[in-house]
Amino acid sequence: MNIWSISIQNIKSKPLYTFLSVFIASLSIALLLGTQQLKRSFENQIQNNVGKIDVVVGAKGSPLQLVLASVLHLDNPTGNISYKKALKISKNPLIKSAIPISYGDNYKGYRIVGTTHEYIALYDGELKKGHLVENAMEVILGNSVAQKLNLKIGDTLLSAHGLIENSIEEHDELLTVVGILKPTKKVIDRLIITNLESIWNVHNHKSEENHEGHKHQENHDDKEVTSLLIKFKSPRGVLTFPRRINERTYMQAALPKYELYKLYEYTSIGFKTISLIAYLILVISCITLFISLYKMVKERAFDLAILRTYGASNFQLIKMVFYEGFIVVFSSFLLGFLLLKIGFRFVEANDQQNIFIALPFQDLLQLGFLILMMVIISVSCAIYPIIKMDVSKILSNEK
Amino acid sequence: MIQTENLTYQYKKGTAIFSFPNITLEKRENLLILGASGIGKTTLLHLLAGLLKPAKGNIFIDNTDLNALKSNKLDTFRGENIGLVFQKKHAIQSLNVFDNLKARLIFSNALVNDKKIEIVLAQLGLSELKTSKVSELSEGQLQRLGIALSVIHNPQVILADEPTSSLDDKNCKIVIELLQNQAKQTNANLIVITHDHRIKSCFQNSITL
Repeated sequence: MNIWSISIQNIKSKPLYTFLSVFIASLSIALLLGTQQLKRSFENQIQNNVGKIDVVVGAKGSPLQLVLASVLHLDNPTGNISYKKALKISKNPLIKSAIPISYGDNYKGYRIVGTTHEYIALYDGELKKGHLVENAMEVILGNSVAQKLNLKIGDTLLSAHGLIENSIEEHDELLTVVGILKPTKKVIDRLIITNLESIWNVHNHKSEENHEGHKHQENHDDKEVTSLLIKFKSPRGVLTFPRRINERTYMQAALPKYELYKLYEYTSIGFKTISLIAYLILVISCITLFISLYKMVKERAFDLAILRTYGASNFQLIKMVFYEGFIVVFSSFLLGFLLLKIGFRFVEANDQQNIFIALPFQDLLQLGFLILMMVIISVSCAIYPIIKMDVSKILSNEK
Repeated sequence: MIQTENLTYQYKKGTAIFSFPNITLEKRENLLILGASGIGKTTLLHLLAGLLKPAKGNIFIDNTDLNALKSNKLDTFRGENIGLVFQKKHAIQSLNVFDNLKARLIFSNALVNDKKIEIVLAQLGLSELKTSKVSELSEGQLQRLGIALSVIHNPQVILADEPTSSLDDKNCKIVIELLQNQAKQTNANLIVITHDHRIKSCFQNSITL
């Protein structure tokens, strides 16, 4: 037994108050960590996924929508563009690479994207197992897709029309898994990737069924893609190319960095507000902690005076109060962290499009430091009566 | 061994000055200090315990001058050499009976010896209440726990502040006998201050303030 265990006994002897303190503090910690994690995930999404894409070309509409749909795969596309025209603008000498992507189907909520091999390289994706798509109707899976749906190489799947999970509009063609990617923490983790032909095949069939007798003659002119992800040779391209596309064609060119930065600016007000509320709750929880400790010091004045007659120094009593505060705050931190984990698990389970990343250790450390500072302040205020304590007077007032 | 010389104490400037008769006790000698309320009995006891600093005069316990000790040293000295018995409240509420005794030993830098705690508890008839909360004890049991707490660390001096005033005649006698026995066993000086004349006959030495 030592000062620690006396502190623990003190805490145990007032369970309701302790629970309240821990609960309020953990709530604010969970909120703070949560907003921080959301913010980091958001920043990470922008940085990682936009990284190599200078411009997205797609059908006219909202540029933000085009970027969200084609880069982060979070929104519906603005429409399709002709593959022929896309190939034509790809020949522009300013362009280093132009990757066509085509999507509009899903498997259990995961998007199926038809594209070229370059697409995977764009996200530094590497194969964990299997091989790249060589023939139509072959797919490779992003790491999260494979894990969450528990799919292996050789498994087959039926795609469904649209971007939301449904079983009504299922296509008839079986897609076969030929490869699984390593985790990248980027958007391809939650995509099913195939080649352009697979997408075209599936949809041509569909139109055949729908319009019996009107069999489409397959030719290049008919083919469509959703958008084109473009990387320029030099930054000069960004200045001139989009304007030309926007003014002279029926397509639009959107700058993902610019669009997402704008979005980030808007949403950061929300983040800031939530953070502010969380900080406010943290301050309140510190006040609760202070009141709890101060009450303990005041109510237990006689106990503390007795400890002094036992030979305890003021410093030891202060240590006791500090330990008590520390135990409460440390458990709050753990509980807050746990609450957050459970919360995110819950959100992730309901959402295939999960974009969360683990919070960097540095952020945890920073928040931990902040909380430690607040404990020190609360405790410093609470120990004032100990420093001013007149043992003799307290003992005399016993009668 | 205890010796006081020309002790005086003043709570605030301009208020009455308490002055106390000189006390000299050899080893194992006991003393009863009688006096009406408000005469400064508790003040004297707290001076002897080093909880108050005298305005003038000196206190020697085992040749240590309490005035010469700085606050931390005084805390340590008090913890190691003095056992205090109070009137009603004796122990720390959040700890059970056994842990109170343990805490007492820890803060007085004594060896924490569970067996010794058991022995003292047995001597004072508290063995069965070992794991009880302090708030569950009766007044008589609390008083006995107070005695246990004041002797567990083998102090040089046991100072008791009105230990019997809330007890009936039977328990009053028992408590005084227990205090005297424990003091004898640990070779400690016992000083009891009280306004309770029932216990006058139990002591050879007594002074009246």
